[in-house]
Amino acid sequence: MENVIEIKNLVKQYKELKAIDDLSFEVKKGEILGLLGPNGSGKSTTINCILSLLNYNNGIIKIFGKEMKPDSYDIKSKIGVVFQDVSVFDELTVYENIDYFCGLYIKDKETRKKYVEDAIELVGLKDFKKFYPKKLSGGLLRRLNIACGIAHKPELIFFDEPTVAVDPQSRNNILDGIKTLRDNGATIVYTTHYMEEVEILCDRVIILDKGTILASGTTDELKELARIEEKVTVEVNNLDDKYIENIKSNNNVDEVTYDGNTLLVTYIEGKNNLVDMIDYLKKESIKYNKIYSERPTLNDVFLELTGKELRD
Amino acid sequence: MFIHNFKYSLKTLFRNKMLIFWTFAFPIILGTLFNLAFSNIADTEKFDIIDIAIVNNDDLENNEAYKTVFKQLSDESSEDRMFNTKYVSEDEAKKLLENDDIVGYMKLEGETPKVTFVKSGTNQTIFKYVVEEIAQRSNMLSNIVEHEMKESVMPENINTEEILHKANELAQNNEIKLKNISNKNLDYMMIEFYTLIAMACLYGGILGMVAINQNLANMTNQGKRISISPMNKAKLLISSLLAGYVAQLVGLALLFVYTVFVLKVDYGNNVGLIILLSMVGSFTGLSMGVAVASLVKASDNAKSGILIGITMLGCFLAGMMGVSMKYVIDKNVPIINKLNPANMITDGFYSLYYYDTLDRYYFNVASLLIFAFILIAISFFSLRRQKYDSI
Ligand SMILES: Nc1ncnc2c1ncn2[C@@H]1O[C@H](COP(=O)(O)OP(=O)(O)OP(=O)(O)O)[C@@H](O)[C@H]1O
Ligand SMILES: [Mg+2]
Repeated sequence: MENVIEIKNLVKQYKELKAIDDLSFEVKKGEILGLLGPNGSGKSTTINCILSLLNYNNGIIKIFGKEMKPDSYDIKSKIGVVFQDVSVFDELTVYENIDYFCGLYIKDKETRKKYVEDAIELVGLKDFKKFYPKKLSGGLLRRLNIACGIAHKPELIFFDEPTVAVDPQSRNNILDGIKTLRDNGATIVYTTHYMEEVEILCDRVIILDKGTILASGTTDELKELARIEEKVTVEVNNLDDKYIENIKSNNNVDEVTYDGNTLLVTYIEGKNNLVDMIDYLKKESIKYNKIYSERPTLNDVFLELTGKELRD
Repeated sequence: MFIHNFKYSLKTLFRNKMLIFWTFAFPIILGTLFNLAFSNIADTEKFDIIDIAIVNNDDLENNEAYKTVFKQLSDESSEDRMFNTKYVSEDEAKKLLENDDIVGYMKLEGETPKVTFVKSGTNQTIFKYVVEEIAQRSNMLSNIVEHEMKESVMPENINTEEILHKANELAQNNEIKLKNISNKNLDYMMIEFYTLIAMACLYGGILGMVAINQNLANMTNQGKRISISPMNKAKLLISSLLAGYVAQLVGLALLFVYTVFVLKVDYGNNVGLIILLSMVGSFTGLSMGVAVASLVKASDNAKSGILIGITMLGCFLAGMMGVSMKYVIDKNVPIINKLNPANMITDGFYSLYYYDTLDRYYFNVASLLIFAFILIAISFFSLRRQKYDSI
């Protein structure tokens, strides 16, 4: 598939700190790429280098097949960015803010009017058009920040942690909006340190730490890296050791732990494990309170890769 | 695109309350305070009290008309006092005139008044006018009543108020240039208002600063967003700067309208040159804003603080809090005020008002332009960067 972004050997050194260390990756047309990493891992720095806002020490950055420079206006006209920090004018209303930024891309007044309305619709700010940013709640302000970045219908969009400090409802609203944009044909780079978002949203994930790539691939590929596929938990009292040995003897079982109340079984492969377990418990007439299965999260992956929790 | 950005820049500037306070409201408030402080002096001395002398001879003793009118117009307790009159011998009058203690003296020879002065000027004109007026009226009166009751030629029939009114008009008449003003109070007050205009011009720099800042990726978040758009940076900056300049001129126009029509400040008659100086002064203010915006890495508020501080200091040295400051600096460390844009503007107005030639005026205008271009040239190197080491 066609590459929208190609980055080769990117190095960015702030005065004393190497924020990006020999980073190379591509973004394919039409995908949502997740850049996942803890605070300070270099997500924003990477985006600012790609946008030609920052000088970098080494590397080649190509967008739409051409080298990106500050005056690559043809490339810039196809890019939209939702910055991590809210970047709007306090003195302009919701409508005016979107109209101003959209106007830097779209000359035709009629088209622009339609685009601005579309953006307002997408982020759900219809009832707030005349509001000044200071009068918006945190979540609504984030939505305005998004609308300002995407109103001109760009082909390539960067979202830098757009859901920070947003309640779950607003967050779902934002994630739905991003999916809509992808469905309409945009290519998206999405940075976050929330695992769940990446799992819901992204086609492919790059896990970043200290400016280098720890791992990359689809979410499924990454979970495979962590060797575990499924966890089944059973709440059961006074389970006999012979049953535990029996479960352990199964080829597909990776590990079994039991603390007198909770039985935790992890499986290497993730098929029918829950059903098999229920059948087994029935056959042996073991009484249990609760049984449930969990898919491993990217957090498990990250833990596996770095030995530390992603969210600090 | 240029107009789109210009329009929205104007909107953001005019809706920024902090900006509008410092650039629009503050000079007007300060002007009002000046006016209150000086209104006592200004009210009681609409124009200068003129020092004159009258030769104290028998002809004066016998002429009720001159005696009474000058007595009334010299009455210290009267609000309409025009003259400070000394009654002296002719020799003494001559001496006073030589020493510049009086603007002129009058001597009656029979019924005919003779007015003597060495220089010409408003005060002399007023003096002469009053004498002629008395002569005419008393002649008319005496012709009418001579036959009947000569002793009843009452000086009351000569309306001093009317004479005063006419003299007042004369003083305000455009053809008379107030070049030889001796009254320090007037001096004082005008310098205050000149520095006020200078302050407004330079405060306008905050508008320029904010307008530029909005476009810089390393200064504001909006600047990042603008910088990633497919807009030419130079075009954006010029369009924003123009918005800053227009906002500045609007503020300045308001200040002029307010001081001229409400506070009744008289800036003289050279309207074209006054506007030119204000526009050049504003441009210099703008250049200071551009320099602070592009060269100082700090928050908007800190940058405004820097501009306000520099402007205040400049205006103080140029005589805003007391004209003696300007004189002291001009005399002892002239270099400071030569480099002080607030003083260049103040001095430009001052020279326009008090000097016949325009040399000093144009020197100040040129200094302001040079000052502005140097600042803009320095800023240019920072402004033309498009990528930053750190944002
Ligand atoms: N302007 C700067 N000057 C110096 N160091 C910087 C600057 N900006 C970022 N850094 C450093 O570079 C590293 C990467 O920062 P960056 O902002 O790219 O991280 P991030 O992944 O976006 O983090 P976050 O999740 O907190 O947004 C951090 O260690 C940070 O301290
Ligand atoms: Mg970041």
